[in-house]
Amino acid sequence: MNMDLEAFAQELENAWEGKRPVEPLSERGLAGIEAAYRVQEAWSRLRQAKGDRVVGRKIGLTSKAVQQQLGVDQPDFGNLWASRFLGMGERLEVPHELFLQPRVEGELAFLMGRRLQGPHVTPQEVLAATEAVAFALEIVDSRIRDWRIRIEDTIADNASFGAFVVAPWEKGLLEEDLTTLALVLHKNGEPLVQGVGAACLGHPARAVAWLVNALAAFGVGLEPGDIVMSGAWAPVLPAGPGDLFTLVATGGRTLSLRFV
Amino acid sequence: MSPGALALLEAVREARATGRLLQGGRDWGVGLEEAYRIQEALFPGPLKGYKLGLVSPAKQQQMGIAEPILGRVHPEMLLESVHLARFLQPRAEPEVAVVLKADLSPGAGVGQAHAAMGGFFLAVDILDSVWEGYRFTLAEVVADNTSGGGFLLGLRRLAHLPRGSLRLYLNGEKVAEGPLEALGDPGARLAWLAERVGGLRAGQVVFLGSPAPAVPLRPGVLELWGEGVLLLARVT
Repeated sequence: MNMDLEAFAQELENAWEGKRPVEPLSERGLAGIEAAYRVQEAWSRLRQAKGDRVVGRKIGLTSKAVQQQLGVDQPDFGNLWASRFLGMGERLEVPHELFLQPRVEGELAFLMGRRLQGPHVTPQEVLAATEAVAFALEIVDSRIRDWRIRIEDTIADNASFGAFVVAPWEKGLLEEDLTTLALVLHKNGEPLVQGVGAACLGHPARAVAWLVNALAAFGVGLEPGDIVMSGAWAPVLPAGPGDLFTLVATGGRTLSLRFV
Repeated sequence: MSPGALALLEAVREARATGRLLQGGRDWGVGLEEAYRIQEALFPGPLKGYKLGLVSPAKQQQMGIAEPILGRVHPEMLLESVHLARFLQPRAEPEVAVVLKADLSPGAGVGQAHAAMGGFFLAVDILDSVWEGYRFTLAEVVADNTSGGGFLLGLRRLAHLPRGSLRLYLNGEKVAEGPLEALGDPGARLAWLAERVGGLRAGQVVFLGSPAPAVPLRPGVLELWGEGVLLLARVT
């Protein structure tokens, strides 16, 4: 069994590098959430051996609708890779060829100021330990053909992480009611989807608290300087070459990302 | 422990386990320090934080002490909603809690305490007591974890202690109101608490006490307002 998990990890690494999708792992013997995280860890070791670095974590499956689609009742998490932190700012560009079948989602990113270690970490503790937050776009991507994923597939596949960009960090936003902050995501100039912070497990800090407590089972926590992508506020949109995505959030904060 | 303390410990332990209320007001021959040792034995760690009680000088005078009393907060006491069935005689108090972002050693000054604060949150203290009608002596309430039941904690982080008053509504009716200045200086409270309990840790939450009397809880909707911020919860 150990051999299989390592082999799945190598397949995912090959798909990530070669931009060629693989058939669902869940159709080829990968069963159970724990085994799926073991594949993710094995893949993570392969990436680190190549010199990539974890700069934080992403939380996926934070909306009830997406959880129902996959038949689960909790989120999942993956690593944020330094090689795919594509920048901070207002207007960013990203080569479409970096990805296999990218999609874009808007959310809130957390920058941790202090160490957090579960279990029993509360959302309020997350807020007290956060240095700043910022609106962010995540490019999700799947190394699984046609996004034909079950829960095991997306967990093994690093929670379908692709890349991310972040607007300038803001300390002041931490004093706001995060549940009613809002964002509208435009594609090629058209406002297509919108959402509020409450769409992310009721409160984005609740998602981060879930993450910290889930990480505790692996004996790790969040460290100062870690970034957490806390989960989508609105449905994801598929991204093709040349597409322009514009996130407009509360107060007119704007972050745009063009696929070139 | 003295024979009186052992008897008090056993009485509270049994009442908490069986849900049978006790008649308070007895003289157990137990002092405050021994009552805290009973509390520690009955409610051991790991702790998520502490609650303060009897924070007003008037209440302290009534009980014959010159400082607040404290209770221990366990992870399972932090609630998202209130189910009355899990309590014996639940009452609610409007409160504010502070979450620490840094450790605070015993002997820390008020300034250090302020620097360790990671934010304020509106909170509802759901009191519960094994002493029928909340009629108890100081030793009895302290041994019973200072009537610790459960806590609701708001999700809106405030950088400073809210100003004005706290107002608690149950099913649309105002049931408690009190001025926030009655809570005193939170820095002084934390410094006192850190000294009293041998230090506080980052991530711990401290419920700062209530500026208003506790009210019985009934099923329905609970609203706590403080400086325009709302904590909203269901009681079932």
